[in-house]
Amino acid sequence: MKMLQRINEGLHDMCHIWAEEMKNVVRDEGVLIFFVLVPLLYPILYSWIYNNEVVREVPVAVVDNSHSSMSRMFIREFDASPDTRVAYHCNSLDEAKDLVGRQAVHGVIYFPQDFQTRINRMEQSHVSVYCDMSLMLTYKAIFQTASSVAANINSKIQTSLSGNTTGREDEITIKPLDFDEIPMFNTTGGYGNFILPGVLMLIIQQTLLLGIGLSAGTAREKNKYKELIPVSRHYNGIFRIVLGKSICYFMIYSVIAAYVTLVIPRMFGFVSLVHAPDLVTFMLPYLLSCIFFGMMLSCLVRYRENVILLVVFSSILFLFLSGMSWPSSNIPGTWKAVSWLFPSTFGIQGFVSMNTAGARLGDISLQYICLWIQTVVFFIMTCAVYKFQIDRVKKLRSREQ
Amino acid sequence: MNVAARECGILRSNMIYLFCMVVFPVVIIFFFTSLMNEGQPEDMPVGVVDMDNTATTRSMTRKLDAFQNTRITRHFNDIAEARAAMQRNEIYAFLYFPAGTTDKLLSMRQPKISIYYSNTSLTAGALLGKDLKIIATLGSAGVGSAQMSAKGYTEKQITAFLQPIAIDLHTIQNPWISYNIYLSTMLIPGCIMLFIFLITVYSIGTELKFGRSKEWLAAAGDNIYVAVAGKMLPQFIVFITIMLAYIWYVFGILDFPHPGGTWTMMLLGLLAVVSAQGFGIFMFGLMPSLRMSMSTCSLWAVISFSLSGAAYPVFSMSPAIEALAQLFPLRHYYMVYQICVFNGFPLPYAWFNIAAMVGFACLPVFIMRNLKRAMLKFVYIP
Repeated sequence: MKMLQRINEGLHDMCHIWAEEMKNVVRDEGVLIFFVLVPLLYPILYSWIYNNEVVREVPVAVVDNSHSSMSRMFIREFDASPDTRVAYHCNSLDEAKDLVGRQAVHGVIYFPQDFQTRINRMEQSHVSVYCDMSLMLTYKAIFQTASSVAANINSKIQTSLSGNTTGREDEITIKPLDFDEIPMFNTTGGYGNFILPGVLMLIIQQTLLLGIGLSAGTAREKNKYKELIPVSRHYNGIFRIVLGKSICYFMIYSVIAAYVTLVIPRMFGFVSLVHAPDLVTFMLPYLLSCIFFGMMLSCLVRYRENVILLVVFSSILFLFLSGMSWPSSNIPGTWKAVSWLFPSTFGIQGFVSMNTAGARLGDISLQYICLWIQTVVFFIMTCAVYKFQIDRVKKLRSREQ
Repeated sequence: MNVAARECGILRSNMIYLFCMVVFPVVIIFFFTSLMNEGQPEDMPVGVVDMDNTATTRSMTRKLDAFQNTRITRHFNDIAEARAAMQRNEIYAFLYFPAGTTDKLLSMRQPKISIYYSNTSLTAGALLGKDLKIIATLGSAGVGSAQMSAKGYTEKQITAFLQPIAIDLHTIQNPWISYNIYLSTMLIPGCIMLFIFLITVYSIGTELKFGRSKEWLAAAGDNIYVAVAGKMLPQFIVFITIMLAYIWYVFGILDFPHPGGTWTMMLLGLLAVVSAQGFGIFMFGLMPSLRMSMSTCSLWAVISFSLSGAAYPVFSMSPAIEALAQLFPLRHYYMVYQICVFNGFPLPYAWFNIAAMVGFACLPVFIMRNLKRAMLKFVYIP
C-alpha cells in the first residue's frame, strides 16, 4: 500500500513539475526564442541560402593565342555549358590574372599559339586551365567543363581520323568500353540537399541545449540557494523532477521535430525519402538523448547567458564530427571517439541515411542502438546531477534551521 | 587605465572568460587542422560488383584501388547488396561490371560498365566520382592503345590519337587541392570572431546584469568612450594574441600558402579582431538587453559561416542573400584573405572589403549615446 501511495504521489508531483516547467518556458522570452523562434525560422533561412543548390555560369576569362577554328570551337562549347560562361577575352595571362584578383572571373583558359597546329601535325596539343582555388565548387565547375569539352572535341577528331564506314564503328572507336555514370541519392549533386539534413538535425540538438540551459540558469538565479531546484514539497524525488521536466521538453520538441524534418524539406523541395514509422522510431531516442544531454549539461550553467557562450561555437564542431563535410571514414580516431559522446553524431548520420539515401531503420541499427545507449547513460547522469542538487538543498536547509 | 585594470580583474575572476577567450579557440585551431590533416580524404571505402570476374576486370579493380582517394573495401554479389551498403554509409561508391564485359570488349561489341557514387556527402561523392570516371576512361584507352601498338604505331602517335587535346590543370596556390588549406583558413578565424562577438556583448551586458554599470562608468569619469575603450583593451590584447597565434601556427608551422606575406596577414588579423569587437559593441548598443544582443550575435556568427561564401559561392545564392552577405564581417575577412593573402594580390584589390571591415570597427560611434543611457537607466531583464 505504501509503495502504491508513493508512486501515486510521485506521478502527481511529476505532473505538477511538468506543468510548472511548461509555464516557465512560455513565460521566459529567452527560452521561447530558442525553443520556438529559432527552430521555426533558422531552417527557412538556411534553405533559402542553399536553395539554388548548384553553381551555374561561373565566369571564366579566355586567353586565345591560337586564334584558330579549333580554339574557337572549344571556347564556344565551353561558353554553352551550363556550369561556366566566358566572361572576358584577354590578350595575355597577366591581363587575365588581374581579372581574377578583381573577382571578375574565377578561372582562366589559355590556348597556346600552336594549339591547332599541333593537332594538324598529329601531335598532342595542350590547353591550360588555371583555377582560383579559394572556392572548390567553381574549381570543380571549370575543370569538369573543360575536361568534358576536351573529351567531346577529342572524339570528333578521332572519328574524322579513323576512316570508319558506319556510325556504330565510330562509336566503338571512341569508346570501346562504354560506361554509365550514376550519382545516387541527391542526384543533382546539390549543395542544399547535401548539407541541409545535417543542419536540420543539429538545429534540434543545439536549440534544445540552449533552451534547457537557459531555463536552468534562470532557475539557479531565482532559487533561494542558487541551485537548480526550488524549495518546494513537490521537488523531493529525483525521478519526478527529471521526468516531469523532460516530458515538457519532449512535448514541445515533438512538434518542432516534425516541422523541421518533414515540413522544411517539402517547403523547399529537398530530397525527403523518410518512411513515417522509421522516422518516429528514430526521433524518439534522438530527442530523449538530446534532452537528457541538455539537462545533464545544465548543471554547469551558473548564469543564464553562459550557456550561449558554451553551446553556439560547438555547432560547427558537431557538424564536422558527424562526417558531413569531411567523410566519417577519414576522421582521425581521437576525434571519432569524441564524436561518439554527442547525440548529434548519430542523429545526423542516421537521419541523412534515411532522408537522403532512403535507408530503413534496419540499415542504421548501429546509430539507433547508440542513441538508446546515450539516452540511458545521459538519463542516469542527469538523475545523479539532480540527486546531488537535492542533497545540497536539503543540507543547506537543515543548516539554516 | 583604471577601467582596463578593473576589466582585467573581471576577466580573471570569471572562469568563462578563460574558456571562451583562450581554451576553446585553441581547441578549435587544433581540431580543424588535425581533422583534415590528410588534405584530401584518402582511401575512402569503395565497393566492387564484379559479375564478370576476369583478368581484365580484376586489373581495373586493382588500378582503382591504387588511386589516392579510393580503397576497395568490399566485393558484393549484386547491385542490391552494394546499394544497401551505400545506404548504411559503409561505402561511398561502387563499380559494376556486368557478366560478359571482357568477352564483348575483346570482340569489339562495346560493353557497358556502370559507376555509382553517393552524393549524400558531396566531398566523398565528387572525389570518388572523379576516380571512377578516370578508371572507366582508362579502360577504353587501354583497348585503343593495345590495338594501335599491335598495328605498329609509336607511343607518341598513340597518345596523340587517344587524347588529341590534353588539359593542363593549374590549381593555383593549392596544388594538393587540400581541404585543410581551403576550409581551416575560413573556419578557424570564423570561430575566433564568433567568440569575439559573444564575449564583447557578454562583458558589457553583465555589467548591467550584476548592477555594476554605474561603477564602470564612474571608473571612467563618466565618459562612455573611455569606458568602452578601457573595457575593450584587455580583451583586444587577448584576442589579437590568439589571432596571431593562429596565424603563426597555421601559416608558420603548418606552412599553408601565404604569398601575401606576413604583414598582410597581421593586418588582416588586426582588422578581424577590431571589426568583430566593433560589431559586438554596436549590437549591444542597438539592443541593450543581454539576451537579445547575445542571441542576435550568435545568429550572425553562425550564419556568417554560410554567407562568407567559402563553401557555396555567394554569387550563386539569391540576390537578396547576396546583398545581405555584405553585412557579415566574416564575409569581408574571407574576401581579403583569399584575394590578398592566399592569391597574393596587392591590398588595393580588396579595398572595398578592407573599408567594410574598418567600417564595422567604427560602428560603435553611432550607438555610444544609447549605450551610456542604457548603462545609467536600464535595469537587467532576464
